[in-house]
Amino acid sequence: MATSATHAGYAADNYLNHSRGLASWLFTLDHKRIGVMYLIGILTSFLVGGLLAMAIRAHLMAPDGALPLTNDQYNQVFTLHGAIMVFLFIIPSVPAALGNFLVPVMLGAKDVAFPRMNLGSFYLWCFGALFLVGALLSSGLDTGWTFYTPYSTTTDTSVVLATFGAFVLGFSSIFTGLNFIVTINTMRPPGMTWFRMPLFLWATYATSIIQVLATPVLGITLLLLIAERTMHIGIFDPEYNGDPVTYQHFFWFYSHPAVYIMILPGFGIISELISVHSHKGIFGYRFIAYSSIAIALLGFLVWGHHMFTSGMSNLTTIVFSALTFSVSIPSAIKVFNWLATMYKGSISLTTPMCYALSFLFLFTIGGLTGLFLGTLNTDLHLHDTYFIVSHFHYVMMGGTVVAFVGGLFHWWPKMFGRMYNEFWGRISAAIVFIGFNLTFFPQFILGSRGMPRRYATYDVEFQGLHQMSSIGAFLLGFGLLVAGLTLLHALFKGKLAPSNPWGGATLEWHCSSPPPHYNFAHAPVVGDPYEFDHIDYDRSIDGYVFTSPPREVLPKTPQAEPATAKDSHS
Amino acid sequence: MFGPFLSPLWGDVNDGLWFPQDASTFAGEVDSTFNMILWICIAFFIPIVIALAWFAIKYHQPKGGKATSRVRHNNVLEISWSVFPAFVLVIMFVRGSWGYLDQREPPTGAAEVNVQAFKWDWSMDYGNGIVSPELHAVVNQPTRLVMRSTDVIHSLYVPAFRIKRDVVPGRYNVIWFEATVASEKVSQAELDEALKDAEENHGGDFDPERYGFTRQGYTYFDLYCAEYCGRDHSQMQTVVVVHETQEDFEAWLAAANVKPEGMTDEEYGRQLYQTRGCQSCHSIDGTRLVGPSFAGLFGTTHALESGEQVTVDENYVRESILDPRAKIVAGYQAVMPSYKGQLTDEQINSLVAFIKSLNGD
Amino acid sequence: MATTEALPHDATAEDHDHGDHPAFLAHHFDTPEQQFDSGKLGIWLFLVTEVMMFSGLFCAYAIYRAMRPEVFVGSSVFLNTQLGAVNTGVLLFSSLTMAWAVRCAQLEQHRMLVGMLGATLGCASLFLGVKSIEYSHKMDLGLLPAGFYSYDPHAVHHHEGLSPFLIWMAAPFAIATIGLLVWYVIAKVRKNAFQSLVAGPLLAAGLSFFAGVGLGMLLESGESTEGVEHVSESAEESLAEIGPLVGEEEGIHRQDPVEPTGVEPIDAADAENEPAVARATGVVGQLAQQETNSGVRQQLLAEERQAEMASGRITTSAEDVTGPVGELVQAIDTPRLGGVFFSIYYCITGLHAFHILVGMGFLTWLIVRAARREFESNYFGPVDYVGLYWHIVDLIWIYVFPLLYLIR
Repeated sequence: MATSATHAGYAADNYLNHSRGLASWLFTLDHKRIGVMYLIGILTSFLVGGLLAMAIRAHLMAPDGALPLTNDQYNQVFTLHGAIMVFLFIIPSVPAALGNFLVPVMLGAKDVAFPRMNLGSFYLWCFGALFLVGALLSSGLDTGWTFYTPYSTTTDTSVVLATFGAFVLGFSSIFTGLNFIVTINTMRPPGMTWFRMPLFLWATYATSIIQVLATPVLGITLLLLIAERTMHIGIFDPEYNGDPVTYQHFFWFYSHPAVYIMILPGFGIISELISVHSHKGIFGYRFIAYSSIAIALLGFLVWGHHMFTSGMSNLTTIVFSALTFSVSIPSAIKVFNWLATMYKGSISLTTPMCYALSFLFLFTIGGLTGLFLGTLNTDLHLHDTYFIVSHFHYVMMGGTVVAFVGGLFHWWPKMFGRMYNEFWGRISAAIVFIGFNLTFFPQFILGSRGMPRRYATYDVEFQGLHQMSSIGAFLLGFGLLVAGLTLLHALFKGKLAPSNPWGGATLEWHCSSPPPHYNFAHAPVVGDPYEFDHIDYDRSIDGYVFTSPPREVLPKTPQAEPATAKDSHS
Repeated sequence: MFGPFLSPLWGDVNDGLWFPQDASTFAGEVDSTFNMILWICIAFFIPIVIALAWFAIKYHQPKGGKATSRVRHNNVLEISWSVFPAFVLVIMFVRGSWGYLDQREPPTGAAEVNVQAFKWDWSMDYGNGIVSPELHAVVNQPTRLVMRSTDVIHSLYVPAFRIKRDVVPGRYNVIWFEATVASEKVSQAELDEALKDAEENHGGDFDPERYGFTRQGYTYFDLYCAEYCGRDHSQMQTVVVVHETQEDFEAWLAAANVKPEGMTDEEYGRQLYQTRGCQSCHSIDGTRLVGPSFAGLFGTTHALESGEQVTVDENYVRESILDPRAKIVAGYQAVMPSYKGQLTDEQINSLVAFIKSLNGD
Repeated sequence: MATTEALPHDATAEDHDHGDHPAFLAHHFDTPEQQFDSGKLGIWLFLVTEVMMFSGLFCAYAIYRAMRPEVFVGSSVFLNTQLGAVNTGVLLFSSLTMAWAVRCAQLEQHRMLVGMLGATLGCASLFLGVKSIEYSHKMDLGLLPAGFYSYDPHAVHHHEGLSPFLIWMAAPFAIATIGLLVWYVIAKVRKNAFQSLVAGPLLAAGLSFFAGVGLGMLLESGESTEGVEHVSESAEESLAEIGPLVGEEEGIHRQDPVEPTGVEPIDAADAENEPAVARATGVVGQLAQQETNSGVRQQLLAEERQAEMASGRITTSAEDVTGPVGELVQAIDTPRLGGVFFSIYYCITGLHAFHILVGMGFLTWLIVRAARREFESNYFGPVDYVGLYWHIVDLIWIYVFPLLYLIR
């Protein structure tokens, strides 16, 4: 068919202007609007958490603290940095913001399965965030984001408020995950078999499984912690014959899988980015898809590696070490597959691709340094030092956050119908990359040289590396600021986006930018999500168009769909 | 190769980029495991990055370019890069576990020290009533630490020995080490100068970090608390002194809990105040910390949590040291650990004298 | 339909009017089947999260039971098996009525559906009534979570009148029942069929709470005529049986360096002083054996006291330790030990009761919708989903009952 003009350009009636007024946003059931509201909330949290991080790094410029913060204040700052970044930003970042926007569109569906629950989980998120902010405003929180007992049962700060906030946020996360599992299971269009789903959906599915299975355990753990603080139930508090290590088991049974809640969606984004911007089908689709599920399941078996020094029996410790190594293999598979995807592709070094390349570099370091920590005798030395801090920032920030920002740049034209300035986008990617390595690489050395984490003051011999790290952090913050301004600028001044600016083959590139209220007027025709042969560049609209109907790639025999599918529409 | 170039960045380093000094029997094995993993990682990482950069440059095309390959999978390749790394991982796992088991099995006949961790200091009990905040051991002789905590979780970490173990309230955790490098003793002149400096410029507070040796003139290894434990977590540090000989160690032991010749009770009390953890909670300048300030305290009368009144006299001070939770001053929390069995009568008397002396003249 | 070439660029997609599909079908679903399957999968996933949540508590139970079996054995005798059994029966019956209700919805038997939902609600209410007796009885005795545990086996537990705890628990139900009664009467008087159809079952449910209270009181008093003595005797007996276990278990999970040989039989007369001194090994121990060496003895005792404080094992009153059995009863009775069982008891049953309350909310909502005749043979999803939820709540109780009440 001809390149219809409606492909290019801003759709006149879209989800952004379909209805107007604040109430039409606050009570919307549209997954795209909910995704956008999540995005606003999450980016605000990221800003707050980021400023706290800057405060931490500024304070650590000098051994006795460069900012006029007391130790107590420093402890509150790093605790809030951790709690905000983990609970408010990174866990909901990709699934709740990008996922909400993309999952139904990629499925060719009109909405998620339970739109009301979707809005409900957004408000639960807000409610949980209010509690965390409430904790901050009342008497702060100084337990570290892990709330380890018995410190958390004895400190004077508002632990109950904060844990209740985290509890509520957990339910927000559970409902989001539940919604996605059901949506992906029951609302796939005819023709989209499990192995024709975009890998982002596989990653989201794997993430959702973890959210549904692990988060309730966090819920009960936090409830028990609240009960411990208010009623002294004596389960975690040694004062009443409880056992603090039991708390750690409970906590990490959730919080280790939570690490994969954070990173798996990042993998999903990178799979899309690398493939689309290399204009080549993803290499080893099934291996990537299965490895996501493998990570999700293996992730449940390795929580004990957070407790190698806590006093578990030798056997338990060694078993957990072995399991920990097993989880590294699926991650390695993915990295190799992404590289193979780039091989002999047609690579556009767009902003999202720059972030994706940056991700590959940083995540590989993050993953490899995990090996030092899974190995028992080196872990005894490195545990609770800056080596850990650096390791998980390479994975969480270098992995997830870089992927998230890359994903924002990738889908921004789709979400808001505007193109951003490529030059500044790429500059931001470069600054973030340099700033990140300058911040966190010195921390590996700090850690292996024996600098414990969560120290408000430190011995003078560590000062050089700390200063290097702090300078890097400011650079990193600046880079993210540039990225943010580039995106903001695009919202107001960017030129209108074509419906397919990068040449993607997944369904979201079939609808206009931004998508209309119901995403698709008619159920879209499902093709291979990684088939780029029939997508050509059209200079006149600076975007890509589908040159031949993708129907060729329809399966020969239409799926044995659950009886009815779609008939009511044709 | 970058060592000389970067060395100003990390100060007084003379033992390579990655590690602090290597001073126990474990350090060699841990470091070589670390280096083995490091080289394996580099062996994986460099090709990945080269491929990444090379692909990004070589296959870069302007918009609209088509991929030159359509290969979407290759089972042989994919299975081999899934399986091959697994063998490498097994090597790491086995090596790490052996090293770990070494660290978990204290040899028989190890010298034993009972370690008590509390917010925010350590107290090492050598038996026979000898207690000190410093950890002392003898070179080439295994030492076993039996550790407990009276409040929250702490973690004993000696980077130079590559050992770490959490100290969990409600249970005993055990760790051991055998130091291979002995502390050196600085010259008497240097020590005297440092003591003088501490007396003149720092109000008698001898911070080993400042001088690089302890009050007795030994160089030392850092001992940190590695598990976050609250306000002064980062100051919950002490020193490990490794003696050349058993005799030297015993000489130190003999002197450890005795008031030095020629020191007054007040001076000794002040020293105990600084070294035994009092100062982290009780100020001597009137500032309110976790506990009441000692400034002008003696002889005053306070309301207790129970509603009674108490006058701060020798008996009350002594009771508060030995059984801190018996009488809590209103507005403060019952968080102080008991020092029963950790301070000799002489030491308690000296502390009382010191607190008395803070009332001024 | 898949043959259509139209690409989804039709930005002015018509808003869905409900002309072409039934009112109950949300417009992002294509067919009622898809909607029903989504709901069903959703509720099953939700039940998975419930199971995970409770499994955390069951793990806590398993861990602490393994660590302190004597506490669990000794404490579970305080639970009234009869009340637990009654509640089990009530819940099982309510599962039956719930399943029946689903069947009624499918068959469009509207009045029967309301009746069955009302019966389920009534059972839930009865369950809570019995539970409130159990709770208030234990609270009166001071059998509370570790921090508040204040049970004294020697005190006389005869309470005159109603327990204040019971009053607090029953008050909301009393208010609701009175309100419902008023509503029901008004509806009857005004001959509002819909309202009386709703208020009737709700009122019955409110009343069945008090039936539960009455039943609970009856069974509880039946037990207590034989006296609290019976309870504490059996506690002591069971403790005496497992007496030797305790010593071993103490030795195992506290690797006390000062007492490597474990607990030795304690001479009653010298119970306070002997242990640490006797158990101390090495030179210090030898020194301590000499009566004259009081300094070292004091030192060791102080250390032991410290070790006890570190492990939180402080007995509240040391003077009435008279021997192994006495000491064990003491161990159970002190808040720091006995409370753990009741902590777990209150956490599990409390969370379960909370789920019952939430389920009652759902049932009320269903009753209102059923009275409006909203459910039909191809739209009965909500009844089905709530039914599944109700069965899981029931199922959890089936595990709770033997674990807490029966296993001794």
